[in-house]
Amino acid sequence: MRGISRLEGKYAVTMDLYPPQGKEFTRIQPFFDNLKEGRFTTTKCKDCGKLSYPPRVVCPECLSENLDWFELPKEATVVVPVVEEIGVPIGFETPLCLAMITLEGYFTFITRIINCKPGSLEEGDKVRFVSYEVEPFPAEFGRETVEIKRYYFAFEPVDENKRK
Amino acid sequence: MRNVCIIAGGMSQWGVRQATLRELFQEAGKACFEDNPMVTNKDIDGLIVASAYTERLATQTHLAPLVAEHLGIKTRSVCARVELLCASGSSAIIMAYSLIKAGVADVVMVAGGEKLNTPQKWEAFYSQLCSVDHDYDGAHGLGLPPAALAMVAKLHMKKYGTTEEQMAMVSVKNRRNGLNNPKGQFKECIDLNTAMCAKVVAKPLKLYDCCPLTDGAAAVILASEEKAKQLTDRPLVYIMGTGQCTLYNASANKVDWTSWEALRIASQKAYSEAGITARDIKVAQVHDCFSISEIIEYEELGFCKKGEGGPFVESGQSDFGGQVAVNTDGGLLSCGHPFGGTGIRQGIEIMKQLQGRAAKNVEGAQFGLTHNFSGMIAAQTVLVYGREK
Repeated sequence: MRGISRLEGKYAVTMDLYPPQGKEFTRIQPFFDNLKEGRFTTTKCKDCGKLSYPPRVVCPECLSENLDWFELPKEATVVVPVVEEIGVPIGFETPLCLAMITLEGYFTFITRIINCKPGSLEEGDKVRFVSYEVEPFPAEFGRETVEIKRYYFAFEPVDENKRK
Repeated sequence: MRNVCIIAGGMSQWGVRQATLRELFQEAGKACFEDNPMVTNKDIDGLIVASAYTERLATQTHLAPLVAEHLGIKTRSVCARVELLCASGSSAIIMAYSLIKAGVADVVMVAGGEKLNTPQKWEAFYSQLCSVDHDYDGAHGLGLPPAALAMVAKLHMKKYGTTEEQMAMVSVKNRRNGLNNPKGQFKECIDLNTAMCAKVVAKPLKLYDCCPLTDGAAAVILASEEKAKQLTDRPLVYIMGTGQCTLYNASANKVDWTSWEALRIASQKAYSEAGITARDIKVAQVHDCFSISEIIEYEELGFCKKGEGGPFVESGQSDFGGQVAVNTDGGLLSCGHPFGGTGIRQGIEIMKQLQGRAAKNVEGAQFGLTHNFSGMIAAQTVLVYGREK
């Protein structure tokens, strides 16, 4: 016995990059269902009106569980772009394009920028939401392992000249 | 409430070590006891261990009893692990301080360390994805700071005119100060040109703007004032004030990336408890995981005005002989950064500075400060230490 197979060349590849998905594993499955449909959503409290991101099951303002799904805009503005040239996590390739972006009037956050010529992105550029299928989630139900499809998102430059 | 003193401190050799996590803790514990021969493992009634990546990188949880067993410590008051990533060590010191202050414990060892260099180098970078908000920031490939701090640097340069040269000056200063710590990872000075011409990590951050991946551990012993008087004949160094503030975690909820409100809140609480102001701090160990962070920390800790962190380092105000000597033993940029060990190494250097027995002393320092931020600039931890008058 040498040990388990995950140590053979896969030692580091044992952390899941993406959130758990499937109604058996998360209470915010609608967020991922919406990603599948190309929609970017988050939760809004029906009682106090607080819009939260990331999506919640309890409002962080008034602690209500009476939440609704809210559609966020799909176009955003780049506040500051960055290209990471070394030291990116396994599962991502260098150069890794990231940017702090603003969804006008909602949130400013850091996101991966895909389909982008490295170094071409500038402050003030428009980027748009893209969702896509990622590695499935192998879930065990009794003696069966079922692959649960999963979805995630990033943003891409609106300007075709900056896309690759 | 009782007064609490720091009475001993030591560290293992830090760097890329041919040693496991438990071996690093043994080295650090031994060095700590050797630092003060008046205290032995039989005097310790509590142990708090600080380590962040212990499950993934050392495949070990329930770490505190393991460290206690290896150091011959039999606890009665507390035996547990504390985790706040890069501020794990300082958090553990705050917990031990609080327990002693409240009378729950009398003499507590605080030991922190990390084994970050594993057979596959990718592991530590990979683990970083779970140190930010894994599901909403990590999943974009955003690990620990290079990318986020590169953005912060760009914003600070644009808003306040900070230059890449000024950032490099932080690295040059801290690499030079690293000669004061024989157990730090690096012991080579660099010049400004070397720092400016180094390989780009994430523009504008270059190799020497970033702290390395480090294996290492450090330990200190805290005691009630009454016990401290029995267990040391050196000048007593007290923990005078603490502050720990978090206002957000995910990148989406940060209000201003160049203005670190949480650090202002944490430091003001610590200064207030100690009955001092920023001007009273003559020696400080701050969280220079990246050169730009040290510049912003001068500002938020109140060492200089907002936006003037760049000129502050350029004019030598943060070096020996300046207004406040910052990172006198090399900081993270030179000593390296085994997350759980860092806050404890900082505490050791401040203790030695205030007792007048550091490798290079800041003359006449009455008060010292340690600071860490953790996660994606999500939490800020500050301690103020003071020497007996």
